[in-house]
Amino acid sequence: MTHRDRFEAIYDAYYPAIHQYAARRTGSPDDTADVISETFLTAWRRIGDVPEGERALLWLYGVARRVLANQRRGAARRAVLAERLRDELAADRPAASVDLEHVRAAFDELPERDREVLALACWEGLTGEQIAKVVGCTAIAARTRLHRARRRLAASLRRQPRPAILMGDA
Amino acid sequence: MNDIDKLVKAIDLAPYAPAQGPGARELRAAIMAEGRDADVREPRRVRRSRPRRLVLGLAAAAALATGAVLGPGLLQDGHGVSAAYAVTKDADGIVHIEVRDFRDAAGLQKRLRDLGVPAVVDYVPAGKKCREPRATPVEKIPDGIYDVPRQIPGERDGWRMRIDTKLFTPGQTFVWTITDLPEGMGSTSTILMNDPVAPCVLVPDDRPKMKVIDSKTRLATTEGGSLAGFRVDEKTVGEVRPEIEKRGLTATYLIMGIPPGNPGGYGELRRQDTPVGDDWIVWEAEEEKGASGKVILLVTDKRYDKNPVYGGPRDSVITD
Repeated sequence: MTHRDRFEAIYDAYYPAIHQYAARRTGSPDDTADVISETFLTAWRRIGDVPEGERALLWLYGVARRVLANQRRGAARRAVLAERLRDELAADRPAASVDLEHVRAAFDELPERDREVLALACWEGLTGEQIAKVVGCTAIAARTRLHRARRRLAASLRRQPRPAILMGDA
Repeated sequence: MNDIDKLVKAIDLAPYAPAQGPGARELRAAIMAEGRDADVREPRRVRRSRPRRLVLGLAAAAALATGAVLGPGLLQDGHGVSAAYAVTKDADGIVHIEVRDFRDAAGLQKRLRDLGVPAVVDYVPAGKKCREPRATPVEKIPDGIYDVPRQIPGERDGWRMRIDTKLFTPGQTFVWTITDLPEGMGSTSTILMNDPVAPCVLVPDDRPKMKVIDSKTRLATTEGGSLAGFRVDEKTVGEVRPEIEKRGLTATYLIMGIPPGNPGGYGELRRQDTPVGDDWIVWEAEEEKGASGKVILLVTDKRYDKNPVYGGPRDSVITD
């Protein structure tokens, strides 16, 4: 398999996941598009470093995570995106559910590290071990972080005047 | 805890996996038109300031810096074709194009059509764009029908691309738009479209400003770098590693290939995250821009008489 074939296979297999990962964590289609393009550009440039099988996705998440961190820092925003892709993304964006605003608010108030592991577990559906590979820590540390994050979110929701109406039945 | 997970899941902003649209496919093509790290085989000399390079442009375009170019009228090569571009066709039906000045879009279009490429070429001055939509893009683009334009190696202003005329289906047109951007930059967009393609009607360009992609890496050991204040050149990996760890960074190793006689310059044999031996020699450290927490150590398995990165001592090139 040539590098080109391999990259195409990886892009086609994981584009939806990386798109979703980016869309979940960025505030605008512009930023989403930047994260997608920069992540795959890195994968192309370093195609030899991309691990085989399912680990390729975790590797891509790891890259996307750093791209996102750079973007948040406002540093060197580099990628440029097809206008059409941007429009595609703009059309895709769902409206936030009003019922869940308080959950969103509580989630947003968590420390970044808590949000990150919770999101990887609940949105990307990763295990503690997989999260460890993405964020670059041990599996034990990832599980511990996840446990603490859940506890903190639960505590924060309990403190809110409004009950978490979806509890137990979502 | 399960309930907490359900609640977090419920606030997922992108609960459904998106499909690849045409924009995503164009992005893939544009990325693959870029060079890969492993393609860098030729010894290279370190440049103190690397040229800024535009990579992905509007609608999956590659882009270039337009420098001082002679107008096509000044460059007639005697065959009635302007030397601002060179278009040739080989026996396999592949058309090779090199363009150094795009302003003669009509001439380029005629030349392409003469050689069997159903092309529409438009030149768009800065601040304008063609009114959209001009046509519907082809959904299933045949593999290898054309490469996205890329820079001619070693030249600042030239672009090169190839088009396989055998792969065109009747009713499809290759729509090539060349746009001047401010600050001497340019961009080009290549899209395969279904006929009919509307002529380019210039309208003011209200699209978001194009951003510049800078070169991939910078020195990590100069001011502002992750290893600022720490010299790595000519030290052993064993001497450098503790400082990297102390600063909370991780290292990637770029194994350098040194040409016979170590004339200055190096090639890249491979990159690895697996540490090399403590007795390997470090010649410089680079990092990706935007401080990813990862430094790239340029290493060899033995000591050479002079630093291949600088063709001599680092101090002769870099003054901190």
